[in-house]
Amino acid sequence: MATQPGRSTRAAVPAIAAAFAFFALVPLFVSDDYYLHVLVHVLFFAYMASAWNVVCGYTGQLSLGHSALCGIGGYVSTLLFINTGLTPWVGMLVGAVAATGVGVLVGWPCFRLRGPYFALTTIAFAEILRIWTDNTEEIFGIELRGAQGLSVPLKGHVPALFQFDGKVPYFYIILAMLAGVMLVTWWMERSRMGYYLKAIRGDQDAAEALGVNSIRYLLSAMALSSFLTGLGGSFYAQFFRYVNPERIMGLDLSIEFALMGIVGGQGTVLGPVLGSFLLTPAGEITRATLGGRFPGLHLVIYGMVLILSMLFLPKGLIEPLRRLAGRKRVPAGRDEPAAA
Amino acid sequence: MPFLEVREIGKSFGGLQAVKNLSFTVEPGEILGIIGPNGAGKTTAFNMIAGFFPPDTGEVRFRGEKIAGLRPWDISRRRIARTFQLSKPFGDLTVLENVVVGAFQRHANRPDAQRKAEGVLALVGMTGRAGTEAHNLTVVDRKRLELARCLATEPELLLLDEVVAGATPAEAGEMMELIRRIRDMGITILMVEHVMRVIMGLSHRVLVLHHGETIALGEPKAVSRDPVVLKAYLGERYGKA
Repeated sequence: MATQPGRSTRAAVPAIAAAFAFFALVPLFVSDDYYLHVLVHVLFFAYMASAWNVVCGYTGQLSLGHSALCGIGGYVSTLLFINTGLTPWVGMLVGAVAATGVGVLVGWPCFRLRGPYFALTTIAFAEILRIWTDNTEEIFGIELRGAQGLSVPLKGHVPALFQFDGKVPYFYIILAMLAGVMLVTWWMERSRMGYYLKAIRGDQDAAEALGVNSIRYLLSAMALSSFLTGLGGSFYAQFFRYVNPERIMGLDLSIEFALMGIVGGQGTVLGPVLGSFLLTPAGEITRATLGGRFPGLHLVIYGMVLILSMLFLPKGLIEPLRRLAGRKRVPAGRDEPAAA
Repeated sequence: MPFLEVREIGKSFGGLQAVKNLSFTVEPGEILGIIGPNGAGKTTAFNMIAGFFPPDTGEVRFRGEKIAGLRPWDISRRRIARTFQLSKPFGDLTVLENVVVGAFQRHANRPDAQRKAEGVLALVGMTGRAGTEAHNLTVVDRKRLELARCLATEPELLLLDEVVAGATPAEAGEMMELIRRIRDMGITILMVEHVMRVIMGLSHRVLVLHHGETIALGEPKAVSRDPVVLKAYLGERYGKA
């Protein structure tokens, strides 16, 4: 019996391509700004959960601090635009590189340890960064404006400066970014790196004994994930034309990225996307209808969704879907004699 | 120049001296068996050779090169592979994918690595299990998978830590046959084992550890008749068998 690793993603390729083609046509039919806004949100979270998945889903490390990387991307590109006039198209790359550097610095000591140190450090780091930014009006003469946040100077419809009339261009940009992150994940999953990351997740000692330099591969995954997250943070800043510490580097945001990855199915190309398509609208509705009366209720609901998902679908929503599609690997019976 | 030379290595954990002044050499192509009661220091010695922790004292040379203190992946790249006493499969990967991880060591692209892995699976008789997720395997198949992953890295020295533990006598027989086949491929083997029939049947020489120290080293027959060994370790049990 020949098996093709990653064949489930291969079989899903036409379906995913069709879905993207369909989404590319959506703005032709949906002209209402509100729905487009929600769709951009869904795609943004699908992108961010996928970026989170690159390190957390594949290696089994849990980051609850990815919002810090998102915030670094958003703040760096916005600060560069305000202070030097550098177009956010370039600024977002600078922001992503900054996020990569920070991500690697956080991962470097933690990946030498076994245990929950990475998860704890990411939370602590993100919260420290948020609180610091919240309380810092200026540093080295650069205005951060603390909790007030920064507004992106409006220039009208100037595509070269990442500013557009209407939501449609943003929709296409984030759609393309999502396609990009999915392609990167897909490629990674099938490469030596993907196998090594999954081996580390399975058993780090065994992986090392087979020649996997676990620290190097964990750091590589963290760097890639941080870069992608930094890019996403810059997009977020340009889309809302406003960043503040609470919104772009809050713990809520980190939890959302992780939750969508986990509920959808970590360590798969499609899982985090699925998670966002389900949870983002649900979160949006909860906040819109109940947020005023019960602030923070969405967090309670997130917690419950997470518990239910861990109990009943530990591998995420993607698992029953795969089974439905008949592409589930057939587990051999335990008592069947070994093939000689 | 000995193939593997272990010279006066020692390791203590807190107040416990797990291995004390352990020295031995392994010749190319041989099977050296290490026996000793639980806690004798066998796995500790393995871990030091395989780079899981450095020895406190002494040194380990492989083909003349000092390897004590290198990290596990560096040791693996020098063509030394190990299995674990408690097998450590990558549970949610298939059997084939588990072996491909090992094969990536010497084959950078996936089609080559996969071809290598398929060959190794055929050798250990697990071709029929290639698509099974590793957590669904029996204890014995997990051990076989450990062995397959090691072989996929194309080692010259294989460290086997209790690969027949938990096997029925028939399965142990199959595993012995497999180990002989591996030796015939020119791979040198250092093995720790509790099952006397296996260690005595396979090893060219046997090293007996007791409280972290060597108490005997020689051919299986000589060791099994050594009064020191009989007294300190094997006692009446092996005498009767």
